Amino acid sequence: MDTVASLFAMKHDKLYENAFICKAILRSLPPLVKKYVLQLLYIVLPVTTSSLQDADSDSKNKSAIDRLIELRVFMKVVDRKKETTYLLNPTFQKNLRLHINCGLLPRQPIAAVTFLSLEDLDIYAARQWECFLLHLINSAEAAVTTKSFSCSMMKVVLRIRGILSQRDTEGPRLTKSGFEFLLMDTNAQLWYIIKEYISNSEDRGVDSVDLISFMLELSFLVTGEAYNVNTLDDIQRATLKDLANLGLVKLQQETKDSWFIPTKLATNLSISLSCASPRNEYVMGYIVVATNFKLYAYSASKLHREILSLFARLEYPHPNLIVGFITKDHLDIAFQNGITSDQAIKFLDMQIVLYLQQHAHPRVAERVASVPENVTHQVVGIASKYGLDGTYSFRRRFPIKDDLKHGRRGND
Amino acid sequence: MTPVSSKQYTDDVSLLVVLIDTNPLFWSSSAVPLSFSKFLSQVISFLNSILLLNQLNQVMVIATGLNSCGYVYDSSSGSTNHRVETLLQKLEEFVVKDEELNKDDSADEIGSSLLSGSLSMALCYIQRVFRSGSLHPQPRILCMHGSQDGPGQYVAIMNSIFSAQRSMVPIDSCVIGSQHSAFLQQASYITGGVYLKPQQLDGLFQYLTTVFATDLHSRSFLQLPKPTGVDFRASCFCHKNTIDMGYICSVCLSIFCKHHKKCSTCGSAFGQPQTSVPTSSQKRKALNLN
Repeated sequence: MDTVASLFAMKHDKLYENAFICKAILRSLPPLVKKYVLQLLYIVLPVTTSSLQDADSDSKNKSAIDRLIELRVFMKVVDRKKETTYLLNPTFQKNLRLHINCGLLPRQPIAAVTFLSLEDLDIYAARQWECFLLHLINSAEAAVTTKSFSCSMMKVVLRIRGILSQRDTEGPRLTKSGFEFLLMDTNAQLWYIIKEYISNSEDRGVDSVDLISFMLELSFLVTGEAYNVNTLDDIQRATLKDLANLGLVKLQQETKDSWFIPTKLATNLSISLSCASPRNEYVMGYIVVATNFKLYAYSASKLHREILSLFARLEYPHPNLIVGFITKDHLDIAFQNGITSDQAIKFLDMQIVLYLQQHAHPRVAERVASVPENVTHQVVGIASKYGLDGTYSFRRRFPIKDDLKHGRRGND
Repeated sequence: MTPVSSKQYTDDVSLLVVLIDTNPLFWSSSAVPLSFSKFLSQVISFLNSILLLNQLNQVMVIATGLNSCGYVYDSSSGSTNHRVETLLQKLEEFVVKDEELNKDDSADEIGSSLLSGSLSMALCYIQRVFRSGSLHPQPRILCMHGSQDGPGQYVAIMNSIFSAQRSMVPIDSCVIGSQHSAFLQQASYITGGVYLKPQQLDGLFQYLTTVFATDLHSRSFLQLPKPTGVDFRASCFCHKNTIDMGYICSVCLSIFCKHHKKCSTCGSAFGQPQTSVPTSSQKRKALNLN
């Protein structure tokens, strides 16, 4: 919800003129709020709060109505009897009715075209996305150079790179934001980059509303179907090229036509706008953590190797298996690097644990504790030694009593 | 820290199976103030609004005919482009086929549609969804019914109701005809669904979105129409009449209105009242059948 609120912080009324934005906003609301919107969809006269209250608890009703007023979907009308009544925003209402009455013609896919299977599409998307992330953290291992990026995309990359890492004497080093970014959910990372891209677009003179609506329209298309590029205007085509670098669409060109195919990353964009996003089904879990702190990651990707090297010592460079050891030293380095002097690091350890849990291999994911409890306790325990000022606080771990300090024992 | 349950999606993803009554005898009678086309347009708008609410919502439509039932539309299979056209086309094909079957059989006097058949088809589809993987939406059944209850289907409908209760699938009912349907009242009561008989059928869409559109998880926070007086009377297995007092087989619990020599369901012999003691051979027979 914060994503939506920050994206759409301005110009609500202008945004609601676009039908796809209305659809995305409806999908991002909590269920009770959705019900209120649906109920009032065909009602033109204002309704009182008492006729609207269906939930058992008043607080839920009130928070639902407040959320709607905040988004300017509901409008408050005070009538002659001095009662507050509510009305659905007319533009919003009109656009939603279009969706329900099938008044909107969706984009037609091209039928008989040889294109990739869904698995190949997923592999392509994963490869592009990984490459992009490696560029972002300024890793030397990124396979493809940034020559194919457009200049607007490069600006976004440079800006985010500046936030995520900083130059040090030994080379580029990750900041706290860098740590958090790498350990975040893929959808959260995607929205972060897109937000930067959209705010960048204002400087270029492209209307951000059009950009948002085009991206949302892409997210409502069907994965794996090819759509003609000729139906788009120039700005949309330029955006498409940038999105292809991210792995959201695949561009293909034949002699006569060129078309684009949205990948799963694109269609999951609008799902992730809602409050509780589901587990990523397209991110296969690949990590197995053993109780002896050894880590086995069944993956060949360099990005995973970079992420895991943040807090584990990696051994044995196999082609498709990463074996590592979660050591205290590495965790210390992670916590020391990942904090500034005035912030508690209690989120970083939980993020590490969360990352390990969310990417657990399917064989261990079904277990109650997909990461063994002693590992999680140890990570949290090492993190707790770092006090609020960021220094290693010996005293908090070993409180020294007076008689021990002076070497005296009880039975002396 | 407990990991996120992998059994289902987030709480508000639903799979809605809609059973539409296409009984021509009912729709052509004067008891219905709404024409079938108007009814269908409201239902289609309702289906579109369900699919609008969440990207992962799925809708399945089954038509309940006079002599047969058929799967008409599945939102997870086709593309979103020609949704309505495919639905209408399949529905038309179904109605034509159903009518052809009608000419072969002798006409049913009561004219009740095959609710038991479509309930079974819905439950089979839902079972398939349950077994498809670890992630699945929460299923529920919405029954848009208008024809009268056919007493001959009592046993089959009760069986479907109990299996729905077992799989925790609520059966909601929206009754369009002029009379209440005792079967659907029992179905909604037993499975924990909502029973509604709208007063004004012109505003059917509003009733549907207010009562039936929310997913199962949020229903616990809402005040939905409560059942007022459900008719729980059973029907006898021999004549299919509703009875208050009757004879029950102690082995398989089948209900009869008159005294019989032998149970027609499990074959156990009835002796004289209060003098019969089940022998071991009868018990074995009953065990084999059960």
